[in-house]
Amino acid sequence: ISPWEKLPERNEMEEEHSGGVRRRWLVDVARWSPSPTQFQAAAALLPPHHRHAIARFVKEEDRKRALLSRLLQYSLVHRVLGIPFHQIHIYRTTEGKPYLENGPPAFKNFNFNTSHQGDYVGIASELLCLVGLDIVCISKPQGETTVEFLKNFSSYLTGHEWNCIGRAAGSIEMLTEFYRYWCLKEAFVKAVGAGVGFGLHRLEFHHVEWSNISVYIDGIESRKWRFCLFKLDEMHLASIAKGHPEDAIHSFKTTLSNVVVEEEEFYAALEIPEETFTLQTVEQLTQL
Amino acid sequence: FGNFAKRVSRSSIMLWRQFLGSLQVANVISSRSSVSFRSQKMSFVSIRSRPSSLRFKICCSATGEAQAKKETVDKVCMIVKKQLAVPDGTPVTAESKFSELGADSLDTVEIVMGLEEEFNITVDETSAQDIATVQDAADLIEKLVTEKTA
Repeated sequence: ISPWEKLPERNEMEEEHSGGVRRRWLVDVARWSPSPTQFQAAAALLPPHHRHAIARFVKEEDRKRALLSRLLQYSLVHRVLGIPFHQIHIYRTTEGKPYLENGPPAFKNFNFNTSHQGDYVGIASELLCLVGLDIVCISKPQGETTVEFLKNFSSYLTGHEWNCIGRAAGSIEMLTEFYRYWCLKEAFVKAVGAGVGFGLHRLEFHHVEWSNISVYIDGIESRKWRFCLFKLDEMHLASIAKGHPEDAIHSFKTTLSNVVVEEEEFYAALEIPEETFTLQTVEQLTQL
Repeated sequence: FGNFAKRVSRSSIMLWRQFLGSLQVANVISSRSSVSFRSQKMSFVSIRSRPSSLRFKICCSATGEAQAKKETVDKVCMIVKKQLAVPDGTPVTAESKFSELGADSLDTVEIVMGLEEEFNITVDETSAQDIATVQDAADLIEKLVTEKTA
């Protein structure tokens, strides 16, 4: 089987017609085994400073993921906005959130978020709403019980959330429940451009069997955020968070051009239903 | 759930925490005896966790601060290496960035927990977010330990 398996064209055309600049892309890292030359060829599409940053990762799998998450950003901007690779300016805020510095003015709050863990690297982009993506690999803790592992994170989830986790039947289900909450919190924090210091315990997620997911921020329910959980495969989950640009933290908010959004327009964008991710091959990402 | 991705480092963490637990009694004893040295610039960190090196620390009080930093850094390196299952032969130094060693957000939480246990400190989430390198962690530890004993 060729590692450069072509994506069915239908999916991609559907995505372009319905989404404009909205995308949900995934790369299966396990299916890309580049030779050093192939790796360098992909890296060569990025500005030089990225190559140094990628090379600093100690483990090969981390280097692959680092390259692919950057490539996803440049490739997405190239594909949806038509900007040549070498003219794309993606910078980072002081908290480390990547953003497009030279997007066309008409593209309002165009923003994107990448995530990687385990076998997947993904990216999500939106035109008007903030978007955050988090991918988790559900890994069973070795040498300690699930409860011992979960205790590390006791201050990051709320009492209500821990109660829900506690009601799970068995340690595997408890672990999955934990990862779902963690994944959602991370997606939110990344969408607003904050780092770890945001205070994950400030967020409390409510749901009905993991649909109709809502968030309470500092005890108050927010009507301006929507969440969706995806099962990528037996071991990987992904979450998408979408919300109002006014909730962006200051350093990220200054990169957006349209923080004051007309209510109807915002809710129309917010309520667009989530679709499944589109699998991209590295060959597709590196098409000029 | 046939094949979980295995985090091999967790077994080391568990054993190591059990080891730390057994040190708790020794910590209490050595921290009482270190009270009389409060006026000197000493590393209470090293005294608490290594009672046998107490005499060495007294002799080296002039360079206590520089020495303490290295010892703190070494301990942080050990914790980080175990949590991230860093391959043998890969250098981990004060300048090493957690992310470059392969830490994700979950690893960072566990590393901070490990540091809290090892140094008997509490790290709030805002401070935790500023820890990007081993040196950052060591500096924060020194600060929190100093504040604690002040």
